Amino acid sequence: MMTASPSVFLLMVNGQVESAQFPEYDDLFCKYCFVYGQDWVPTAGLEEGISQITSKSQDVRQALVWNLPIDVTFKSTNPYGWPQIVLSVYGPDVFGNDVVRGYGAVHVPFSPGRHKRTIPMFVPESTSILQKFTSWFMGRRPEYTDPKVVAQGEGREAQPG
Amino acid sequence: MAEVHVIGQIIGASGFSESSLFCKWGIHTGAAWKLLSGVQVGQTQVDTPQIGEMAYWSHPIDLHFATKGLQGWPRLHFQVWSQDSFGRCQLAGYGFCHVPSSPGTHQLACPTWRPLGSWQEQLARAFVGGGPQLLHGDTIYSGADRYRLHTAAGGTVHLEISLLLRHFDRYGVEC
Repeated sequence: MMTASPSVFLLMVNGQVESAQFPEYDDLFCKYCFVYGQDWVPTAGLEEGISQITSKSQDVRQALVWNLPIDVTFKSTNPYGWPQIVLSVYGPDVFGNDVVRGYGAVHVPFSPGRHKRTIPMFVPESTSILQKFTSWFMGRRPEYTDPKVVAQGEGREAQPG
Repeated sequence: MAEVHVIGQIIGASGFSESSLFCKWGIHTGAAWKLLSGVQVGQTQVDTPQIGEMAYWSHPIDLHFATKGLQGWPRLHFQVWSQDSFGRCQLAGYGFCHVPSSPGTHQLACPTWRPLGSWQEQLARAFVGGGPQLLHGDTIYSGADRYRLHTAAGGTVHLEISLLLRHFDRYGVEC
């Protein structure tokens, strides 16, 4: 007779969104959130966060530093749906509205220890030229209604970046 | 109870526009952690680099924690200040980093940021000195309520931290 008892494991994620390099933009803030499968549930810590607005340093590095803490623990029975962290960066446009400057996602590292990840960011672009002009003029860029789509593999064929 | 030894030093800081820097550091843990030996806060000496631009402190850190849970893993937080020839102190940057969780020796480079004020305050800071500071130090290592802040990057604090873990395998923790 076999007794099947699912074994629960915990994944503790500690770290920070350290800094960013955006040569073209300044005065940026970032938001992070986690995307995970059905077998995962966050048990402690914050699942989402929003950072301060940061300006580029005046020296050669032109670094944008946030130093935003990430502290979350997940409970799961299955590695499928391993959590991904989704980052969205926003900044002001010419008119002062907050516009998305980049989305990016990466899986939480799989092995214990210290890891450093550099994530390339992309922005959605509208397909029609007229819409590109009106969005520049009105300050309203195409944005994802839910940034979590960045973490999915399905449906990407329709999205130019 | 599992135990953690954090042993190392704050080597120094680089990339700050000011020279003559000192650092106030502290370590923050959750409620399940207890400090068995060592001092949890400290302040380094003021160092003015003679050769090169990196300020060296070599400030030793030796801490022994006991813990009943993983939540609230220790974080080191820093306030880097500069001191001018008149003895006045000005904030150069705030930063934090988590203490590593795998045993061994780690080189850490912690970026810092400082609050920007209005343009009048920035102008005053350039000429007279001073500038805005945080009222509550816990914003340095916590992510809550940061959206009100507007900051600029400071330099980097360099550390070398070695970690020794004890009895973690008894609790089924893989490090």
